[in-house]
Amino acid sequence: MREEKNPGHVKIVCEDITKVFIQKGKQRVHVLDHISLDVKENEFVVILGPGQSGKSTLLRVIAGLETSTEGRVLIDGQEVEGPGPERGLVFQGYMLFAWKTVLGNVEMGPKLRGIPKKERRGIAAHYIHLVGLDGFENHYPHQLSGGMKQRVGIARAYANSPEVMLLDEPFGQLDAQTRYYMEKETARIWETEKRTVVFVTNNIDEAIYLGDRIITLEGKLPGRMKSTCKVDLPRPREHTDAAFLELRQKIIEETHLLL
Amino acid sequence: MVDIANEIKQQVQERRPFTPAMILTNRWFLYAVSMLAFFLIWDRAAVARVFSSGLPRPQEVVLQLWRMMFDPLAGKSLPGHVWASTQRILIGFAIASLVAVPLGLMMALNRYVNAIVKPLFDLLKPMPPLAWISIAILWFGIGETSKVFIIVIGTFVPCLLDAYNGVRLVEPELYDVIRMLGGNRRHEIIQVCFPAAFPAIFAGLQIALSVAWSCVLAAELVSARSGLGFIIIMGMNLSRPAVVVGGMVVIALVAWGMSQLVSVLERFVCPWKREIDGQ
Repeated sequence: MREEKNPGHVKIVCEDITKVFIQKGKQRVHVLDHISLDVKENEFVVILGPGQSGKSTLLRVIAGLETSTEGRVLIDGQEVEGPGPERGLVFQGYMLFAWKTVLGNVEMGPKLRGIPKKERRGIAAHYIHLVGLDGFENHYPHQLSGGMKQRVGIARAYANSPEVMLLDEPFGQLDAQTRYYMEKETARIWETEKRTVVFVTNNIDEAIYLGDRIITLEGKLPGRMKSTCKVDLPRPREHTDAAFLELRQKIIEETHLLL
Repeated sequence: MVDIANEIKQQVQERRPFTPAMILTNRWFLYAVSMLAFFLIWDRAAVARVFSSGLPRPQEVVLQLWRMMFDPLAGKSLPGHVWASTQRILIGFAIASLVAVPLGLMMALNRYVNAIVKPLFDLLKPMPPLAWISIAILWFGIGETSKVFIIVIGTFVPCLLDAYNGVRLVEPELYDVIRMLGGNRRHEIIQVCFPAAFPAIFAGLQIALSVAWSCVLAAELVSARSGLGFIIIMGMNLSRPAVVVGGMVVIALVAWGMSQLVSVLERFVCPWKREIDGQ
């Protein structure tokens, strides 16, 4: 269980992020426009927006996989200059290594850092247990269902002891039932081992269920922040709660989203 | 334990009752029936002299092969000839794959290597290896070297192409994953690129193997003193169709055997490949 260095300490700072993609040398696609946001330590922030709103790009900028055209990202005061293990990323398409077992996937991070086999097996086993995949250590990804694959993805990101967890629409490819289940699991996992989380989704219910704070982006490019909303509901939350639905209605009205 | 999101693909083994219908639809039974029918038709066609005296009966072929196991033909028994052809293939295949696969990988990973090799390769790629037979004989004579040379030329292309494409078809986001886990370029290549490309490389090896067989046979048909192609040519020259067909049968069996070996190797190296159920 991680100790909070300083509750209220700001973990991630995005200063005025602007991102322009230049395609084929001529066309300029303006994807993000002057986005600034803060994320506090161990806060669960959700970035909500419909498709084509630039939210995945924003996450990739925070991760370091893309560099912003203007502005910068600071994590614990350090500027993000490229991809790195301090940020754990969970991909929408799972992106598991098909040639490695569940165990092999989860222990890849520690392996790259040169942690000896016994220790990293222990770390991997701990996180495999955390996501509820005990007994599946020696399965290959093609033998797993979508929900299980994504849990491997989450375990793999956690196992590398990142400072922050970034999730890019992780449940977008799952059916509705599995999605609800995975939301519950995510909340449970986060409560068990708290981290600072930035979670990208297009689903309002998911946002309200999981987030401490929801940042909505405009529905068209370039992506701009539309509104911010604190979610004060006690956990565990219920999708059918009166307060939940009230908040849902409020967000829909504020942002004109249909979801 | 919730069952949602924990489904894994499991094989359901049904215990079916032992009925006549079950035997009739069993895969192995049907294989046997098919093979039996084939031999029956062959035998009847031979007896009916559909190709006058050119088609020997199956038992004549078997007899001939049995004889060749012990009576040397041009100095070698049947196993000797099999080994002669196989040896050429193994050497040529080894040389070609040891050069072509790394080269293909490097071309896909490095822009400069690609720029240097690609134009030459693209030019030589469509040319059939058999076009090289004459020049191979001119350069290397009619001995082993010219035959191995043809095999190297023929197997080079599929090995290189499949290694190259194997790397190019790797999902680019997987490199992002390695980077986010703290890997560098070396890790990208060793931990992602190579394992992801293995299945494609093996597919290339299978194709290369069948190309190698046609190369070795063509080379042996033109100039050889040993090998399975040689047996076929001898059979034709001596007007002994049983020898010709026997040679063909052995070629089919040996080629099939080698292909199975590559498959076994692939299953060992790539245990994650989904099994495609033939049932």
